[in-house]
Amino acid sequence: MSDARDDRDSTGPLPVRPGPASPGPASPGPASTVPVSPVTVSTVPVSTGEEWLWLSPRSLVVRPVTDLLRLLPVLIGLLVFGSAHGSGGYWGIAVAALAIGASVVRYCTTRYRITAERVYLRHGLLNTKVLSVPRDRVRSVDLSAHVVYRLLGLRRVQVGTGRNDRREGESLHLDALRLADAESLRRTLLTAPRAPAGGPAGAVAGDLAPGTTPAGPQPELAAGPPGPAERELARLQPGWIRFAPLTLTGLVIIGVVVGAVLQFVDATHVNVIAVGPVHRVLVRVGTEPAGLQILDGVLTVLVAAVLLSVAGYIALFWNYRLVSEAGGVLRVSRGLLSTRVTTIDTRRLRGAELSEPLLLRAAGGARCLAITTGLRVGHGAERGGSLLVPPAPRRVAAQTAATVLGTGSGPLTGDLARHGPAARRRRHVRALSAAALVVAGFLAAGLAGAVPGWAWLPSLALLPLAAVLADDRYRSLGHRLDDGWLVTRTGSLVRRRSVLSAEGIIGWRIHQSWFQRRQGLVSLAATTAAGRQHYVAHDIPQARALALAAAATPALVSPFLDGSGPEPGPPPG
Amino acid sequence: MLPGLRDPGNRVSRRAIGYWTARAAADGLFLLVIEAVIGAAAGLSVIWWLVLPVTAVISAAYALIMPRWRYRVHRWEVTGDAVYTRTGWVSVHWRIAPISRIQTIDSHRWLGERVFGLANVTATTASAAGPVHIRGLDRATADRLLEELTVATGQIAGDAT
Repeated sequence: MSDARDDRDSTGPLPVRPGPASPGPASPGPASTVPVSPVTVSTVPVSTGEEWLWLSPRSLVVRPVTDLLRLLPVLIGLLVFGSAHGSGGYWGIAVAALAIGASVVRYCTTRYRITAERVYLRHGLLNTKVLSVPRDRVRSVDLSAHVVYRLLGLRRVQVGTGRNDRREGESLHLDALRLADAESLRRTLLTAPRAPAGGPAGAVAGDLAPGTTPAGPQPELAAGPPGPAERELARLQPGWIRFAPLTLTGLVIIGVVVGAVLQFVDATHVNVIAVGPVHRVLVRVGTEPAGLQILDGVLTVLVAAVLLSVAGYIALFWNYRLVSEAGGVLRVSRGLLSTRVTTIDTRRLRGAELSEPLLLRAAGGARCLAITTGLRVGHGAERGGSLLVPPAPRRVAAQTAATVLGTGSGPLTGDLARHGPAARRRRHVRALSAAALVVAGFLAAGLAGAVPGWAWLPSLALLPLAAVLADDRYRSLGHRLDDGWLVTRTGSLVRRRSVLSAEGIIGWRIHQSWFQRRQGLVSLAATTAAGRQHYVAHDIPQARALALAAAATPALVSPFLDGSGPEPGPPPG
Repeated sequence: MLPGLRDPGNRVSRRAIGYWTARAAADGLFLLVIEAVIGAAAGLSVIWWLVLPVTAVISAAYALIMPRWRYRVHRWEVTGDAVYTRTGWVSVHWRIAPISRIQTIDSHRWLGERVFGLANVTATTASAAGPVHIRGLDRATADRLLEELTVATGQIAGDAT
């Protein structure tokens, strides 16, 4: 889905509410003015009355060290193989020097400030930009660190707001703070009272400099890091690593490694094929019969994929812990070398999604993602930020999700209402006609002489395959309404069961194509500000769709129902 | 249209039929010109004597049928609590969005719409899954609607998520 909201800012001449103002510190309370978007950008410094804080000076070192590490293969290539012709290496060094200069400028011009109501970030050399976010719009705080950051004791802080169409330059991130400062900032932003009560207490909360203990009467603030209010909901079990090869991570890593090797070859002009061991292996394989060569290739890729996916799983999810903190905050921490700590405000949590890629599903595993406003699935710097449980036994993923959402097991594991024979027929018709089209294509190409005349025969195998896929896709389809949770499930290659709180539903979309109309089906989508932005029940019988929508949000939908239609059958779920 | 779901109360302006017809006709002409240019460049063969009239007939049928069909489908309604629309022609879309969750209201007048005295109103919500469009309104209705919705949404506090 393309970002439809992008239209708004560029073309919207008539915003509903007064445009983005930049309220000074004198602003009486966070609820007095509500800008249309939570992030406001102004070109004038907001105020100089309060203390602006700097990033950690150590962050100056990050960029040069990272670049040096990135250039290391090239440098080694130059030194060891002495292949210095070509200017690629020098270009790389020049670019690195420029990047270092840019990072110095960025460090010197970046400041941040936290007041009782807002978080400010100021940056830019010539055009000073000030981003500010009301603190009650902060949905998540994400601390991440790759190896260099960890060696220097730094963390990159990403503040997640409800804005979905965040553009480069408007994201609120601090790159980087000392670990202690980052931790205390995280705590301040997510556990301090959002709406300071009038009077001195509110004023004291104003200038919480990271690194200092919050002072003043703030009853909701957790005492210290390992407080008794912390509750561990899940942690990595070594046995979960068995699910690693069932994800596609291994193949992705192979791609990355191949890309890196090619880049290395390109930069150093080293003839990898001529290097001793590689050459010997290639010569030996070259003398084998063709069948064995293919077998060798497949086995190599398979073994490499398994090993790399296990390594990838460990690198990403080692030390994985899901902790419920005081003040209704969830903390997900993970990572072996590069670490990541994501904090999610449960007040922004609208549900959870169990995702089961085919192989993982076959082995009884599942991942779990949070459906949270401000963490849009698979977007930008927050990619992966919504992960609640890494690939793990389905039972564990479901239980953890149920605990996090505070529901029974019904929404996550309970049986779903099927969508009926018409939906099944539609799945089959769609899958088979796609397969038939491919077969027809081969047949036509064969008649035209573009491919051998028998080539369409093997493509016939697509037909039973399509039927199997269609049947599985039908069996995945389902819905349920359980105690205010709308549950929908869809997909075969990646089956997703999403559990969305009815309170998080901010609208409905019903779509009926010509073919669906003939079969009495519709696709019903609940739109939401969280996660994937809409969750769809595909090919659901139309009467059932209306009953489901009306049951989930009676006040919104029932005014538009009339009694003329057929009785909407038994209540769903 | 969908048993059990009542039609939104208002039709769009009748002038929208003219606007849609003009657009469909323009698209058809554009297609014909492209085909003619390609045909001329490739050397006019028999195929183009076949393709051009077929395109012309299909475009004409589209320009005649689509706008009238669309006019019967397109409907909208704004109640105190929600915006409710129906759009499309062969495929039909319904959209319900609570006014309490609307974040911005826009109105657009493209050149073509201005010629026909039309306007549209777009309401976006906190969900990126598609704003609600009401297209083909006459200008006075659009202005009134814009005013009403702006007042209605302005009264609601919170961040509408």
